[in-house]
Amino acid sequence: MHYPEPISKLIDSFMKLPGIGPKTAARLAFHVLDMKEDTVLEFSKALVDAKRDLTFCSVCGHITDTDPCRICKDESRNKTMVCVVQEPKDVIAMEKMRDFNGLYHVLHGAISPMDGIGPEDINIPDLLKRLQDETVQEVILATNPTIEGEATAMYISRLIKPSGIRTTRIAHGLPVGGDLEYADEVTLSKALEGRREL
Amino acid sequence: MHIEQLKLRNYRSYESLDLSFSPNINVLIGENAQGKTNIMEAIYVLAMAKSHRTSNDRELIRWGADYGKIEGAVQRKYGVLPLELTLSKKGKKARVNHLEQQRLSDYIGQLNVVMFAPEDLHLIKGSPQVRRRFLDMEIGQVSRVYLHDLLQFHKVMRQRNAILKANQGRSGLTDVMFDVYTDQYVDMAIRIIRKRFEFAEMLQKWAEPIHKGISRGLEELVITYETLKDIEPDQSAEEMAARLRERLEGLRQRELDRGVTLAGPHRDDLTFLVNGHDVQVYGSQGQQRTAALSLKLAEIELLRQETGESPVLLLDDVLSELDDYRQSHLLNTIQGQVQTLVTTTNVDGIMHETIQKADLYRVSAGTAEHENHDD
Repeated sequence: MHYPEPISKLIDSFMKLPGIGPKTAARLAFHVLDMKEDTVLEFSKALVDAKRDLTFCSVCGHITDTDPCRICKDESRNKTMVCVVQEPKDVIAMEKMRDFNGLYHVLHGAISPMDGIGPEDINIPDLLKRLQDETVQEVILATNPTIEGEATAMYISRLIKPSGIRTTRIAHGLPVGGDLEYADEVTLSKALEGRREL
Repeated sequence: MHIEQLKLRNYRSYESLDLSFSPNINVLIGENAQGKTNIMEAIYVLAMAKSHRTSNDRELIRWGADYGKIEGAVQRKYGVLPLELTLSKKGKKARVNHLEQQRLSDYIGQLNVVMFAPEDLHLIKGSPQVRRRFLDMEIGQVSRVYLHDLLQFHKVMRQRNAILKANQGRSGLTDVMFDVYTDQYVDMAIRIIRKRFEFAEMLQKWAEPIHKGISRGLEELVITYETLKDIEPDQSAEEMAARLRERLEGLRQRELDRGVTLAGPHRDDLTFLVNGHDVQVYGSQGQQRTAALSLKLAEIELLRQETGESPVLLLDDVLSELDDYRQSHLLNTIQGQVQTLVTTTNVDGIMHETIQKADLYRVSAGTAEHENHDD
């Protein structure tokens, strides 16, 4: 199939997005042709603005349009607790819960020697600096339950344990509200390992 | 369970084949290169959705055809279950009871088979890698948690090796990250080792009496899982972990020199002792073959335990390689217990009563026909 150059460029651009293959990209591109010019302009401006105006918070590393970010500036939040997550998306997931009133620290990845990612390549040095004054009393490690996420959590806890700051790891196991019979074997076995006394 | 009917369309050398099998012993007789093994392979593929001979599914489709199909009617405890596997250049589709299965993992296990072919001798004679693969496949068949642990183990090891590689040639390494990955590595390694110990013990339990029977009570088979010298099956997980950690510390400098992890389940082995001697080193060809056969027959028992039904036994070209006594003992053991398909070039040399009573199929040049002894 041969497309005119502008449209094949557009298709190529859509294909750079995650989860978009050639067919979806073509469908999106042709849809753009049918859109009103205003809407298209607004759309392209939104793309550019998102990239230009958003930066990472200098304190916690979360995406923000003001520095420090709204969460770090919020005086009503509990500054003695810091929740460490891998990605900005994880902050948004935690915030949806509306139950956690502490602060965050976004690592932007996990330690993976295989991929050449060491502790200095993710936001760990900043975390350590942040913990130097006495405000923070508990660090909650909420990295993903993968090999790398687990190793990153263990690494951080070893570094900060000597300072006497409490370090905790979020639990993993069965999803709430689900039936036991629908859980896969691996999750069930992890849940069994993490059982606790009642 | 047993296979009642098998239909092949455009499979290997068969354009079209329809066969019904007896629930006891079925003997496929034919000259070399007539398509006996293709029938065995088709049943194996129907069960496992992949071949034991090739990883390329296209080879299974008859030359020049666009797609191939294997259909089977499997008699199970609760009735007859139709299975269907369509092979095409785009991939394969599996149907159970005419319903397409989204995941092959839901399909596999509807029909259980145990296959014994000449190449299974590698289990005894081959490198430790072959035996570790055997362990992983067999345990994996019944435990998804094991498969998951195995995947995680290899991932942790790759991470740990990456750190070793990055520091290759140095003397000494103090790195918190390395300690963290070593801890995780030890944890995963011990999980694998414990599962393998458990499995080897079950295997031993079933294989020992079988082997004694086949060898006229003359040979005692002992199967052991060999891991680090000072790790024993009766130790607690913590104790095992401490031993492995100790060993790794002792190896630290060599690991740094070589840039790889030098102790763990990826270097373990399964050993077979016959009357106290390692059959891989000191056993005769016949002894090795018998040990491999005992192992496969033990697998039947294991599957029976796990699923509550006997699997189908496929014996490809093995009868002629056993002496008379071993042959008749083998046939006696399986008679009336397990549906068996046997291939052979002729039955004249096999005088055993069981074979005389068995259903015979003559295989030649891409066809197979049922024939009776009375003819």
